[in-house]
Amino acid sequence: MSWAWFHRFASPPWVYGFAARWTPWFGGAALLAMLWALYAGLVLAPPDYQQKDAFRIVYIHAPSATLSMAVYTTMAIAAAVGLIWRMKVAHAVAAACAPIGAWFTVATLGTGMLWGKPMWGAYWVWDPRLTSELVLLFLYFGYMGLRAGIEDPVKADKASALLAIVGIVNIPIIHYSVTWWNSLHQAPTRLLGKADMVWPMVWPLLLMFLAFFLFFGTVLLIRLRAELLRRERNASWIREVLA
Amino acid sequence: MSEFLSMSGYGKYLWPAFGLGFGIVVVIYVSALSSLSRARQDAKRRLEMQS
Repeated sequence: MSWAWFHRFASPPWVYGFAARWTPWFGGAALLAMLWALYAGLVLAPPDYQQKDAFRIVYIHAPSATLSMAVYTTMAIAAAVGLIWRMKVAHAVAAACAPIGAWFTVATLGTGMLWGKPMWGAYWVWDPRLTSELVLLFLYFGYMGLRAGIEDPVKADKASALLAIVGIVNIPIIHYSVTWWNSLHQAPTRLLGKADMVWPMVWPLLLMFLAFFLFFGTVLLIRLRAELLRRERNASWIREVLA
Repeated sequence: MSEFLSMSGYGKYLWPAFGLGFGIVVVIYVSALSSLSRARQDAKRRLEMQS
């Protein structure tokens, strides 16, 4: 098997061009999918027999929660690739992920609180799922703080990569917290196969998941270009792309 | 329309949740664009100083 395609991702000018070419496609697809899913979730999906229309918060809460964990996983994998293969682009990907993931975590906690109040009677409880998600937010803050606190970019890459890799242990804790411990938070909902929800409720949610992943792709590509411009400021290819 | 906005009495939780969620989506997008714009300006300034 040829690894030539993988080696291209180690080249900052190639990755910069790739990101610039693909950003509008990801962005356009994300916008279309998001608008369609929003309409379907708010208008077409039937109300839940127990939670009534409050269940519709799932269309913003569940994709945010999934992305908060998916972005961290991407960040940790990129950090590991950066450490093992000393790929500057991988460290740039990890650095670009952090603020995006932190914002998705804030969205998860905020929308979850607004769902918790009518369902549980409280905005916040020190439940395993909520607490581990809050720990995720602190991990993102720690990663960004560590990067900002070390002046030497190589040392900052290494130290923050180690933190990202160690912090990955929190991802399965978040995911399985509702089954490992007694939790107010509902257990994972099956969306495919023997689904826990009817199809008219499921497809707008799947579409919103797709929209959020496409949106993550869009903003990651934008932030990656910014990160590469900062890191490669003395490289000759910068002059060509800015011309 | 008022029935839709009421969301069977849960509108006061549902609309702020959607406002917060999609507000953050906008913030993520705008901050990414602003980060790229700053990086481009810094790079251009550096190139001008070199030449």
